[in-house]
Amino acid sequence: MSKELIRLKDVTMTFDGETVLKDINIYFNDKEFLTLLGPSGCGKTTMLRIIGGFQTPTSGDVLFDGVRINDVPPHLRQVNTVFQKYALFPHLNVYDNVAFGLRIPREAEGPDGKKQKVKLPRDEVDRRVREMLEVVSLKGFEHRSIASLSGGQQQRVAIARALVNRPKVLLLDEPLGALDMRLRKDMQQELKRIQQQMGITFINVTHDQEEALAMSDTVVVMNEGVIQQIGTPEDIYNEPKNAFVADFIGESNIVDGIMRADGVVEIFNRRFACLDGGFEKDEPVDVVIRPEDVDIVSEAEGQLKGVVTSVTFKGVHYDTIVDFYGFKWLIETTDYCPVDSRIGIKIDPDGIHVMKKSKYSGMFGDYSSYSEEYDEINDPTLIDEESAEGGEDEE
Amino acid sequence: MKNKRSLFAVPYVIWMAIFVVIPIIIVLIYSLTVPVETADGEVLQGSLENFTGMALYAGVFGRSFWLAFIATVICLFIGYPVAYLMSREGPGFQRVAMALIMLPMWMNFLLRTYSWMAILENNGLLNQLFAKLGIISLYNRLTGSDIDHFQMIRTSGAVVLGMVYNYLPFMILPIYTVLVKLDNRLIEAAADLGANSATVFRRVTLPLSLSGIVSGVTMVFVPSVSTFAISRLLGGGKQTMLGDLIENQFLGGAYNPHLGAAISMVMMVIVLICMVVMNHFGDGGEEAMML
Amino acid sequence: MKKNGFGGRSLIGLCFLFLYLPIFLLIFFSFNAGESSAVWQGFSLHWYGELFHNRLVIESLATTLLVSLLSTAIATVAGTFAAIGIYSLTKKWRDPILVVNDIPMMNADIVTGISLCLFFVAFFHGWGGIARWLNSWQSLIKFPTRMTLGLTTLIIAHVSFNIPYVILNVAPRLRQMDKNLVDAAQDLGCTWMQAFFKVILPEIKPGIVSGALIAFTMSVDDFVISYFTAGSATQTLPMTIYGMTKKRVTPVVNAVSTLMFLAVLIVLIINNIRSAKQARLNARRASFEPVRENPRVERFKAWLTTPRGKLARRLTAAVTCVIFIGTVGFLTAFTQSRPVVNVCSWGEYIDEDLIDEFEAETGIRVNYQTTDSNETLYSLLKSGGADYDVVVPSDYMISQLIEEGMLEELDYSQIPNFEKIDPRFRNLPYDPENKYTVPYTWGTVGIIYNSTMVDGDITSWSSLYDDSNAGQVLLINNSRDAFGIALKYLGYSVNTTDEDEIRAAYELVADANDRGVFQGKVMDEVFQAMEGGNAAIATYYAGDYLSMLENNEDLKFVVPEEGSNWFVDAMCVLKDAPNFDNAMKWINFIASTDSNLRNMDYIWYASPNTEALEQYPAWYEEQYGEELDPEIYEIMAAPQEVLDRCEMYIVLPRPTRAFYNNLWIQLGI
Repeated sequence: MSKELIRLKDVTMTFDGETVLKDINIYFNDKEFLTLLGPSGCGKTTMLRIIGGFQTPTSGDVLFDGVRINDVPPHLRQVNTVFQKYALFPHLNVYDNVAFGLRIPREAEGPDGKKQKVKLPRDEVDRRVREMLEVVSLKGFEHRSIASLSGGQQQRVAIARALVNRPKVLLLDEPLGALDMRLRKDMQQELKRIQQQMGITFINVTHDQEEALAMSDTVVVMNEGVIQQIGTPEDIYNEPKNAFVADFIGESNIVDGIMRADGVVEIFNRRFACLDGGFEKDEPVDVVIRPEDVDIVSEAEGQLKGVVTSVTFKGVHYDTIVDFYGFKWLIETTDYCPVDSRIGIKIDPDGIHVMKKSKYSGMFGDYSSYSEEYDEINDPTLIDEESAEGGEDEE
Repeated sequence: MKNKRSLFAVPYVIWMAIFVVIPIIIVLIYSLTVPVETADGEVLQGSLENFTGMALYAGVFGRSFWLAFIATVICLFIGYPVAYLMSREGPGFQRVAMALIMLPMWMNFLLRTYSWMAILENNGLLNQLFAKLGIISLYNRLTGSDIDHFQMIRTSGAVVLGMVYNYLPFMILPIYTVLVKLDNRLIEAAADLGANSATVFRRVTLPLSLSGIVSGVTMVFVPSVSTFAISRLLGGGKQTMLGDLIENQFLGGAYNPHLGAAISMVMMVIVLICMVVMNHFGDGGEEAMML
Repeated sequence: MKKNGFGGRSLIGLCFLFLYLPIFLLIFFSFNAGESSAVWQGFSLHWYGELFHNRLVIESLATTLLVSLLSTAIATVAGTFAAIGIYSLTKKWRDPILVVNDIPMMNADIVTGISLCLFFVAFFHGWGGIARWLNSWQSLIKFPTRMTLGLTTLIIAHVSFNIPYVILNVAPRLRQMDKNLVDAAQDLGCTWMQAFFKVILPEIKPGIVSGALIAFTMSVDDFVISYFTAGSATQTLPMTIYGMTKKRVTPVVNAVSTLMFLAVLIVLIINNIRSAKQARLNARRASFEPVRENPRVERFKAWLTTPRGKLARRLTAAVTCVIFIGTVGFLTAFTQSRPVVNVCSWGEYIDEDLIDEFEAETGIRVNYQTTDSNETLYSLLKSGGADYDVVVPSDYMISQLIEEGMLEELDYSQIPNFEKIDPRFRNLPYDPENKYTVPYTWGTVGIIYNSTMVDGDITSWSSLYDDSNAGQVLLINNSRDAFGIALKYLGYSVNTTDEDEIRAAYELVADANDRGVFQGKVMDEVFQAMEGGNAAIATYYAGDYLSMLENNEDLKFVVPEEGSNWFVDAMCVLKDAPNFDNAMKWINFIASTDSNLRNMDYIWYASPNTEALEQYPAWYEEQYGEELDPEIYEIMAAPQEVLDRCEMYIVLPRPTRAFYNNLWIQLGI
């Protein structure tokens, strides 16, 4: 894409003896929309705060344009943040919130070469604030108090307040977490548009995989303080590196397999053709099969045979759970198969993705307790509470 | 950043250590020593004498705690309904009521208590009123007695009245603060589940306002037990209370700070025990003095 | 929610009536033409005028305001920072600190008071040595070697009990504040300090304001803690009021309090109107109604951001600061302008014009303070709480002070007026060689009774103990006088150390007490009780009887046939008094014939000055144009045959004092 802007080198972060980030090495390119994705407590917000300057890594370096900035306080970094729940100043109105950063005198080199505090002229502040309010479609809201705004409007104020300072990087900490489903979809588009309009780097933190896939140029999947995979949304979805990524991004059936040869994998003692290679002969592997890549056929035609244990109508398709030798698969199909009917399935070679065994093997991908897991995924109350990871307890 | 900010607490912690903790330790030391005259003048000597001799004052302890207990109960029975009713008024009314409760503090409590003396005296306003209304003669006729006034001042009743009068706001404020924050939906929920208003009060409102009651009771009970001005003004010197006893050891005729310190320690411990017992019933204390 | 009906509202109303009834009375009687706080004698603004001439009230008011302002300012700043600091601590540290924070609020005031008092005294005790060592070791700064309770300790005490209230009000605001706000401000370019002023401060401002308000209120209202930490050279208004409640509260205090009350009331009303407006505005904003800002307010806000507006804002801030500092400075100057002679006497025991006259004559400022009993004075001196030059204790206390080496020998060459003291009052047992004292007044103790409430004339102490006036007798509230009188009645000496005799006296009093003879135990409260006709019989001093007589003509006085106590109060100077020469001038001034005459006239206690004593009847006639009732003169200056019946107290040995004390406490139970 373009040149590298920020790099984290061997960054480790511990709070009270608990390691939150482990040897992180990553770089962020200019003008890129990048998303840090992971479940709560995976360290993604901590990483964002390290970039923002609110936390100093226990070890390792943060480089900005090749310069080490570990000890540069947040107010001197060319980075601005849109905070979780926005952190708008309740005692200021919309206009003053946006103008806040512009009104702080900055150190700059004067004509005589001496450093001196410079304040933006009033009309310049005014021009930039109004311009930015226009960008986020909040014209006419200048004098409204923060408390009188809706969630989406507050979100826009927060973005405007950060962007008006013309940062090189905008950090967004769960920017859409507090919005309802519909608004979230709209704002995804909006954010993307703003990013393109401004032409700067956005680093977004979220636990919502759909959001990550929809907005990002690059997705970084994290878990337990470790980067699991970096890649484009397509890569992440189609070529997950391990069982964790496969499970976290989208729905997937993950089964044990043995790589018999390049392009041949054995599952449930049946050999399947696949596109993967480069494994040792007879190496045990994890096999990912996405629910939509499975075709239901008659029992006789099937490569595998199973019994339907539950069917849920989802609008476009049915979520069908099928029991294969005690292992339950999720299959998304447009064909209705009644419960207890026996069926067969076929999988095309490009529907099979083979991964090396990892520490996550065997932890995911079984739909035996399907209904519960399904509820959990859709439970809106399980919103990332990562803010608690700073080691601070608040009532 | 966080650690740097916590440095702000350091001067305060030092201040509190010097001016709160050490003084209490000094009181403890005083209570455990007696002055002994030697060739080099007076020296302090460790002794439990101050505590062993305290049986003499058992009656004063009994009276203080008993009167303070009565005053606290009365305050609770007046204060709770008033706080409850206040919390159900509109915001304007509440603001004015709150201001009115704080306002009397600007008239010194000694002066207000003194004002009660004028009301309660044998020839005071209340007795004059009773005489005018014929209540005294009626009483005489009914009981066959011959009095020209009711003895109100210089009785333990007057002391209790003084306590109730002075500390009632400290009962109302914390209870009100808790009640006003009470989520009305809880009450509606209880009603929805079939509770009548008495049950709602008993099972929902009351338990949820316990923390306010606990802090209110503490804030009335503690100053009541230790008062000395009220008992002196309204009790006519006959109702010796712990406060009088202590004051008398420090700035009065009995000058013996060691004994005074010992009495204070015992009082503190008893009060502490009362508070611990009460805290079992509800977790309170702080919100009391917040506006 | 259901609103309260009529019943509920009237209950609230009743509660407020209860709270405000005494206050209305106080305000009402501040406009009374007479001095009584129970009898209406017509409308007058007299007491408001008087206000400006009453030194004691004005000075103690100034002290109160100074202490409250300073301690509130300090506590507010310290408490706010402390709250921020505490809030950023981890729970492990925060919880124990908050427990300590609760101590001053939850502890009984009296315990806080005495603990601080003992602490200061212990500190001063140790300080002398440290200061001497420091002074010997360097000469740059001269440290005072002697420190006493006073304004500084008072302010420290107030700050200590105010900080917790500030913290308690600020902490919830911090807790409610979005944690990310500070990060956000820093992210937008603020340093931490800028973020503090631009974000934290505005966010927690309401908490700071209410904390400061409560602290100020508590400070102004506090009596108990001040009482134990102010020493006695400094008096706050509540302490002055406490001193007065014993004798007679002058309506001047009502007037002062009414003014303070009205001032606060006005502030509250303004505040209420403002917050009501704000609430309405917020409600409109929250309901998404378009809020039309007042164009004038808008224009004003815009103007504030122009250079001229900014200048105006800075000027306003500067002026506010200057006003605050000016007020504090003025109050400091007013209360602390180098007092040059510190005098401690009893309440209403001097014609205050004499003080002004002395100041005008000599240019020496008099810091005139009062305590209420010899025992209190002794406690104060003993605990290092006092910093007086001249004190006026009674006979037996003088000998105790001499015995303990607490008095300084006087320089009689500087007190020529000592010559005028009647030889009867020189070389008395308490000061046999007359090296330490110049008598101030003398008098007798006797029975004061209300002739309308008692049958016939009283001549014996027996009327104090028998049932004929049960429930109408006031016992004097100090062990020495109460038992002394009983001893006299039983025919023993008031100075006996025989425990059986003392026990017999105790039994006499206790028996009467059990039978309900006594209505109460009083000291200066006797004024109120006897003048108002609330009791029939009391024991008190002749001079005070004459003061009461001015307000109630039915009162009579007798020194009973069994004899009584007679006393001398004399001026002495404390050891190491800082202003010895000025003290000599003061004593000489007071000992003059003119001063004695005027004091006698004002306080009705007999003078020891031979000339004054002789000239008084003539002087009285000249002043008031009428003859002085010889009976009154005889009560004031008891003739020798009465004095012969009486005995003077001498100091009792320590075991006897302890014995007195134990019996006295048993009586109180």
